[in-house]
Amino acid sequence: MDFEFTDEQLLLRESARSVLESACPRGLVRSVYDRTGDGHELWATLVELDWPALGLPTEHRGLGLGYLEVGILVEELGRAVAPSPFLATATQLVPVLREAGSSFLLADIAAGRCTGTLAVAEGGSWRPSTVTTTARHADAGWVLDGVKSHVLDGATATEVAVVAKGDEGLGVFVVPRTAVTAAPRSVIDPTFPVATVTLDSVPVDGERVLVAPGDPSAPSVVERAVQEATTAMALSTVATCRAIFEATLQYAKDREQFGKPIGSFQALKHRLADCFLAVERATALAYFAALTIAEDDDRRAVATAMAKAAAGECQRLLTRDGLQLHGGIGFTWEHDLHFLLKRAKTGDLLFGTAAAHRAHLAQLLGLEAVA
Amino acid sequence: MRLRYDDSVEAFRAELLEWLAANRPSPAEMAADPSVSTGHAPAWARRWTRTMFDAGWLVPGWPPERGGRNAGPVETLVYIEELAKARVPRTTNVQGLGIVAPSIFDYGTDDQIRDFAMPILRGQVTACLGMSEPGAGSDLASLSTRAVLDGDHWVVDGQKVWTSGANYADFCFLFCRTDPDAPKHKGISILLVPMDTPGITVRPLPEIVHPEHPDLNEVFLDGVTVPAANLVGALNDGWAMANGSLAHERGMVWVSAVMGLEESLDRLLSEAPMLLARLTPTERALAVDQIVRVAIDTQAARCLGYRGFAKLARGGTAPEQALMKLYASEARQRVALVAAEIQGADALDVGSVAMDGHLAVDEPQGTWLEQYFHSFANTISAGASEIQRNIIAERVLGLPRG
Repeated sequence: MDFEFTDEQLLLRESARSVLESACPRGLVRSVYDRTGDGHELWATLVELDWPALGLPTEHRGLGLGYLEVGILVEELGRAVAPSPFLATATQLVPVLREAGSSFLLADIAAGRCTGTLAVAEGGSWRPSTVTTTARHADAGWVLDGVKSHVLDGATATEVAVVAKGDEGLGVFVVPRTAVTAAPRSVIDPTFPVATVTLDSVPVDGERVLVAPGDPSAPSVVERAVQEATTAMALSTVATCRAIFEATLQYAKDREQFGKPIGSFQALKHRLADCFLAVERATALAYFAALTIAEDDDRRAVATAMAKAAAGECQRLLTRDGLQLHGGIGFTWEHDLHFLLKRAKTGDLLFGTAAAHRAHLAQLLGLEAVA
Repeated sequence: MRLRYDDSVEAFRAELLEWLAANRPSPAEMAADPSVSTGHAPAWARRWTRTMFDAGWLVPGWPPERGGRNAGPVETLVYIEELAKARVPRTTNVQGLGIVAPSIFDYGTDDQIRDFAMPILRGQVTACLGMSEPGAGSDLASLSTRAVLDGDHWVVDGQKVWTSGANYADFCFLFCRTDPDAPKHKGISILLVPMDTPGITVRPLPEIVHPEHPDLNEVFLDGVTVPAANLVGALNDGWAMANGSLAHERGMVWVSAVMGLEESLDRLLSEAPMLLARLTPTERALAVDQIVRVAIDTQAARCLGYRGFAKLARGGTAPEQALMKLYASEARQRVALVAAEIQGADALDVGSVAMDGHLAVDEPQGTWLEQYFHSFANTISAGASEIQRNIIAERVLGLPRG
């Protein structure tokens, strides 16, 4: 395994970081928290820079880059706590289109005219086996009924991909957001807005049927797309955790008590060393998962679950120690730290918590069948 | 970033595997005359070292005259992995080949290279590393073993402890104080001391498990005379060299640590059906979560290792290795503890060590509980976990010294 990024990838990261430093300052994040802004200027900038086209095939006006490059943008957005439709569009809607072999919407996505998301979870579970939303045959197409929970950007995306269950098994459909009822939930992190999406006899036909129930490829399309979305959420979360770590480390160097920087005390040093280790561990596993997806390696199911579990475990330590080591100042609304803390926490709770992924791993490692 | 290597690396691997198949010592041969200490090289191990040296497979990254083939870091990584997979030790004298010989190449004279380093590479002698003392463990720089120059020789008095392999080694790479008036980091020198020199007494220290095969020793030095020419590098420059010596150790040590961890996990996963079957559903769910956690730890150790290696390969710094040392040794401890606790009271049974020829090599040995106790060798030695955390905090993260 070679864990070194190429020069082009390093350059992409550097340029993404510098774009976000100017286009997504903490003040922009604060405006979203204060409901005086929604980040649309940021999205316009990213569209102008071709971010939505980056991972799309060149024949559909994309730039033809791969999952690792998309992952680099995801990390930088996570680091910046950016409010942006990129994550849901590029790592949730696009993978399900690609896996289904559909080119529907791709040119519009590349041009930034269309954003999207994936509605798979129900009742807070992202396991496809728990889907109860129904797909019924009707006339030339299908009719969808059900309630999807925690749909990222569910109230704002142009298009919603829906995983539903027919008599013959799972299917995937894409419906315009205007065809569903999307109720935004009032959540702790407004930069990751989620909605409850209700489908009340929504008709779908034609190219909007990505994979029909009964198609033998359907379970694998869903599973693989969810793996991409899950690994991207892990990458985003770990990048946010790294930002928490860097802020906390800097604070420990700057803040003085008893006449010296608090970072010179061994009790803090050891906690920071453990935080660093947790971030490095989760980063390494997230990159491994990204590699298995980029190269379509058969370890991708295990790698994805491990990456998301490790990201969640990392988040648990970093939100706790990041806040604790900042002391009182980190506890205030005025300090920017809480944007990072809430984003990291949200990243663990969406697309399956660490515990949910460990439970999934138990199954993948053959431990669940033991009785 | 890629999961696979270049064709040239795969060609290197293929050549190595073919050579190994034709030349490796057989498991039976190894088991018949096992190495019982890191200073002990049985006849097969001496032959094996010599065979590897002659074929350029002993230290692939070195030039042919030093038993290598000028291989790059990626090839060296592949080499270490394949040897571990084949369950063949590179050497039974890990500190001799891994630390002492490279340090002599770095700092020693031509005569020292000829008389001490090259014989290690040819499997003729073994070496031990005389660092820790009763009063100088984590605070190594406060060591007090004295060496006083008397004409053309040094006279050494003092005591070393935790000296791995000293009960069998032919010579010691000895750290001693040569200027008691200088600041503690500036008065240390290194001497090459044949272990049969009069005045040296070695007392093995039986360990917490498997006391029948002690590797650690106390070494008493009482008026030991050492030729002046056996001083390595510059006088009073030993501390800087100590840091260099340990860097040799840390570069690739993670590979065998990770493979040991993987071996423990594989064993746990294979025993899991039997262990879990005895539990109630709730106990089973709790146990399964613990097993999954160590499975994640194990994969993470490998990925962290590769990530650190990528930095090292493009010229990163050695302190990054502290992270792997800390993580792999603590993960190893967790696997053994998780397994022993799932085993319950059955974990109390004492096992017999399967003498498969590499007792001295970094491999899991014995029952889970024995492995757990033995795993502290890795979290205490070569810089305890607490020292690693200090190193990470100060040298990697740049936090101020307390």
